[in-house]
Amino acid sequence: MLFLQVLVNGLLSGGLYASVAIGFSVIWGVMNLINLAHGSMVILGAYITYYLNASTGIDPFLTIPVSGAVLFVFGYLVQKYLIGHVIEASVLMMLILTFGLDMFLMNMNLRMFTADIRSITPVYAGLGIQLGSLRIPYTRLGVFFFALTLTLALYLFMKHTKLGNAIKATSFDSDAAGLVGVNVRQVYALTFGIGSCLAGMAGSLISVMYSFSPIHGAGFAMKSFVVVLLGGLGSIPGAIAGGLILGLAENLASVFLEASYKDFISFVLLVAILVVRPRGIFGKQFYADLKA
Amino acid sequence: MQISRLNRGDGLRRAIFGLLCAGAALFLIFGPFFLSAYWLRILTQTFMFAVLAQAINIIAGYAGYPAFGNVVFFGLGAYATGVLVVKFNATFILSMMVGIGICLFFTLIFGLPVLRLRGHYFAIATLGLNEATKALTDNLTALTGGGMGLSLPLIPGDVETNSRFFYYMFLGTMALCLLVTHFLMRSRFGYAIRSIRSNERSAEGMGINTTRYKVLAWMVSAGFTSIAGSLYAYWMSHIEPAIVFDMAIAIKAFVMFLLGGAGTLLGPILGAFILETVSTFAWSHLLNYHLATLGVIIIIIVIFMPRGVVFFLQERFFLSSLVKKIREERTV
Repeated sequence: MLFLQVLVNGLLSGGLYASVAIGFSVIWGVMNLINLAHGSMVILGAYITYYLNASTGIDPFLTIPVSGAVLFVFGYLVQKYLIGHVIEASVLMMLILTFGLDMFLMNMNLRMFTADIRSITPVYAGLGIQLGSLRIPYTRLGVFFFALTLTLALYLFMKHTKLGNAIKATSFDSDAAGLVGVNVRQVYALTFGIGSCLAGMAGSLISVMYSFSPIHGAGFAMKSFVVVLLGGLGSIPGAIAGGLILGLAENLASVFLEASYKDFISFVLLVAILVVRPRGIFGKQFYADLKA
Repeated sequence: MQISRLNRGDGLRRAIFGLLCAGAALFLIFGPFFLSAYWLRILTQTFMFAVLAQAINIIAGYAGYPAFGNVVFFGLGAYATGVLVVKFNATFILSMMVGIGICLFFTLIFGLPVLRLRGHYFAIATLGLNEATKALTDNLTALTGGGMGLSLPLIPGDVETNSRFFYYMFLGTMALCLLVTHFLMRSRFGYAIRSIRSNERSAEGMGINTTRYKVLAWMVSAGFTSIAGSLYAYWMSHIEPAIVFDMAIAIKAFVMFLLGGAGTLLGPILGAFILETVSTFAWSHLLNYHLATLGVIIIIIVIFMPRGVVFFLQERFFLSSLVKKIREERTV
């Protein structure tokens, strides 16, 4: 029965990992840009939920659209007026640029929200579903549900809307997409906006499940790396698979091995997967990737 | 005709540049006689980061393999020294040699599979190697002291002599690293790894054993990083896995290397001096916003000098290199 509980816990936290990683994956896959500021953006989303909840008492799950909207505008402006202006720079220079952005955001988060560790306790925090000896808290279930809904929404958006198709076309071949009338600069700005929006919404979910402070962003960025590489760059189903695998592996490792070996196992797994199958489980080769 | 006249102007500029370099070298050699303890310490740390940045330059700048997790060799060097000195009463020099040996072995074992990956994938694989090694060091408590870390014996003698000792040790390592890079890049090895960066397949087609040279380049890089780690352990006299395997060290060295100019001899050194100076200033004057200040400066540099400071200066002060750049762009 313990085993079943561990499986369920692993799946539930895996869903959250997937939702944290998906924005990171979209930006990387489409623009060949590793957004090191992703962690700080996620934490910014968590703080938006925290302050809305603390000031108005609104349910944390209802604040998801607000943090998404704020981060979308932020991401759109950053890409349009900052990153989009750097044309000549190499891929690595862009990495350093987002690192600089991360330092700036983390400092601003620290000044605005202080370094105190925050958490949200909704009224239903202690309640949950009881199935025999199996226990599923409502908050974790809610987080899992929203994480999957967001991912599904993004998948449908990419598949069925004109903009989604334009983004996909740009990710395969930005020059060719430009030739058939896609405004590549605008698509990049929107993609970065969407990626940031997803980061903000994932942040709202984190605030319900974990306690957080401005410095916790780096850990989530690290997890996003593992999830994206496990599942495959830019692949939405891949991010879900990667998130669930990481969640399961972490929870199983902490039960069957000493908990302190958890990190060791997950990074050995990362290197092994990279060496054996660099494209991840569901990965296809993207144009952005070919250019590198 | 026009170009040769431009070149003549460059001769004068080259002479000025040479004098500036000589002046800087003299300043650094005689620094301990007139600088305060505060600045000596900052300079010592700058030399250390210059070594780390130059080591990254060898594998990432010249060979084109962005070894993001190079800090693993810093940690391995520091722990080789720490463990050997504390648990086995070894001398510092011996422990440093063993540290280098461990790092060379590490690159040989992991270099073969990991150096098959390219670009981002290689960068992240090296990051994974560092995190895994860090977690292992954290868990081997009997040998490494685990999360509590290791305390090395204090060096006898007064504080001033010791700070001068480490100043010159790091300065010497930086100079050695610079010399070795300079001569290596003029050798067969240097041409081989630069051809790998330009086009690995063509290099292989020309008969270069690319695997061998890639592993060798990573070995040179690992060796210098390990020396810096060993010295650091002795300098700080206390090491912890979270400190010596910290990705922040790697990222800082990487920023310095890119800031200065990838694949240039003086770029990483220049980058180290610029970033350390700015960061010292930000710490002492804008304590609450020092991260943000550094972040903004990095962003500004990437936007205005996307190829690094060295190329930026070259194109402005050496007209011939500008002419060369325009020619290259025309032929492409």
